[in-house]
Amino acid sequence: MHDDAPRAAGAGVRPVPFRGGGFRPQTNTYVSLAVFAGLILLWEGGSRAGLISPIALPAPSQVIVALADLVRTGMLWKNLSVSLMRLGVGWVLGSILGIVVGLLIGLFTIARAALLQLTSALFAVPKIALLPLFIVWFGIGESSKIATILFGTFFPTVIATYSGVDNVDRNLIRMAQSFGLSWGSIVRKIILPGALPAILSGLRISSAIAIVLLVAAEMIGAQFGIGAYILQAGSLFAIDQLIAGVTILAVLGLFISWAIGRAERHFLDWRS
Amino acid sequence: MRATATGGSNMALTRRQLGANVVAGGVVAGGVVAGGVAAGAAFGIVRNARAASEPVKIGILPLVSHAPTIIAQAQGYFAAQGLAARLVTFQAAEPMAVGIASGDIDFGVTAITGGLVSLADKGAVKVIGGSLAEAKGVEGQKVLASNAAYAKGLTSLAGLKGRSYAVTTAGSSFEYVAYKAAQKAGFPASEIVFRPLQTIPACIAALKTGQVDAWDMLPSVTDPLLKAKVAHAIAAVRDFIPGYQVTAVFTSTANINKRKEVVQRFLAGFARGIDDYDAALVAKTMAPKQIDAIVAEIHKYVFSAMPLDKARAHITHGVMRVNAGAALNVASVADQLQWLNANKLVPAGSTMQRLVDTSFVKTI
Repeated sequence: MHDDAPRAAGAGVRPVPFRGGGFRPQTNTYVSLAVFAGLILLWEGGSRAGLISPIALPAPSQVIVALADLVRTGMLWKNLSVSLMRLGVGWVLGSILGIVVGLLIGLFTIARAALLQLTSALFAVPKIALLPLFIVWFGIGESSKIATILFGTFFPTVIATYSGVDNVDRNLIRMAQSFGLSWGSIVRKIILPGALPAILSGLRISSAIAIVLLVAAEMIGAQFGIGAYILQAGSLFAIDQLIAGVTILAVLGLFISWAIGRAERHFLDWRS
Repeated sequence: MRATATGGSNMALTRRQLGANVVAGGVVAGGVVAGGVAAGAAFGIVRNARAASEPVKIGILPLVSHAPTIIAQAQGYFAAQGLAARLVTFQAAEPMAVGIASGDIDFGVTAITGGLVSLADKGAVKVIGGSLAEAKGVEGQKVLASNAAYAKGLTSLAGLKGRSYAVTTAGSSFEYVAYKAAQKAGFPASEIVFRPLQTIPACIAALKTGQVDAWDMLPSVTDPLLKAKVAHAIAAVRDFIPGYQVTAVFTSTANINKRKEVVQRFLAGFARGIDDYDAALVAKTMAPKQIDAIVAEIHKYVFSAMPLDKARAHITHGVMRVNAGAALNVASVADQLQWLNANKLVPAGSTMQRLVDTSFVKTI
């Protein structure tokens, strides 16, 4: 095509080649799977050849054996069920409270003045540092574990929600007002849908934070749970089990991310 | 430069040692050698300092039980052995063990846990000596009951049946003590409900608030709790685990194979630290002024967030014995290994042979 250009210029007419297209990376399942499988094969080969020390990383086959052991002994479901309960309750409660407080901050001056700085300050507090206090406050039963996840997910949700509300196009609100919509109607029909993309991406982040905090939450007197399993594997230096537990969390993260993707497509289809 | 000339072994620095020198930082080429001698000279007690200073890194936890290492370093006992020692503080035993396995740290002292045995089974680390131990006539570890549990009849080891017991992690020394307590009282340890709480502060918080019924710990921690009347002592650990080897000295297998002489020199310096530790804090035969100097040195690492006057009582109270000459109670280690094996907390078939090298110290 470049060869054509000078000749075309000589003729006085300059045909414009089509320059659009590209910049549209797509996913290809086969390539993704091939890269994944290739890495694991490389890893297994490195372990078998002794290039990867068994102290640095267990061979993938050992991890699979550890996973199989979990399934065979029925511990997978036992660990997963309690963890999913803690994750579910903590994350759902943290998200609901976060969205409510975020909306309050986004909508009302008093709430913003009272809570905004407080939220920013408490967001930065590492919840793990407070574990001994959580034991005193919430006990070593389920409540302290749920509270850890709840506090961890609450603050990012608050921030995502009120920033979402702040970013709703004011022109839309003014237009609604000039059409005489009531306050409640504006919140329901303009502000909430307008803030929803930000809230959903906030939920995506907070769900990952919840999984990260699961391990911290299960530091407190948990006999079962994926986090407890990982902690025990770490303290016994059973790294095959450690990687097996981490793999389960990674799969869990993928699944939740997929579910939120579906929710985004469902709730935000009005945008297209 | 005389130092380097005579130190033939130092010329062949391994990549790792070279890395260690760089990390030591702020010293020019060959500076570690010079620095080690200078540090020794500063203490004014370098005797027959071997010409070449071999760099070693020693892991410690900020606990009084790690004081022999701190004392040996401060008094120049390592320097006198021709070691340019550097102390590296850890907050937990587990990363220290992994650091030794990976070769970042050379020596450490820790309890015999599932993690340590697992690393030993992989051929990475080995126990080379004993450290903290239960001894007759010295205050030792105690089993505590929470006030609530005590009121409900947890007044002896037999009362532990069906009760909750705080541990840091599975396979930790706490679980071993509880297992031995159950054995002594004549019921299976599976009747005790273990609560893994990861950290010592979490265990203290849970016991204080009565959320676990029992726990065991060193006197430096238990005595303040007893004094504050937030718990009751129900048994002394040495009554049901006589001669309990609580912690052990360990190093990497690579050090044993390639730097055997350095290991011996480390243990020689460490043994002198133990002698001072014993004279200053356990037997208290040392002159008060010397004791004060040693406490001040320990304070640089232990309870360092408190002013020295306040920390002194914490450092000097309830100090347990460390075996003289880092002697190792092999029977006690074997019993702990047997328990870890029986409870499948370590890779199947972990043996004493893979865990312990008894060629360095006296065994008891």
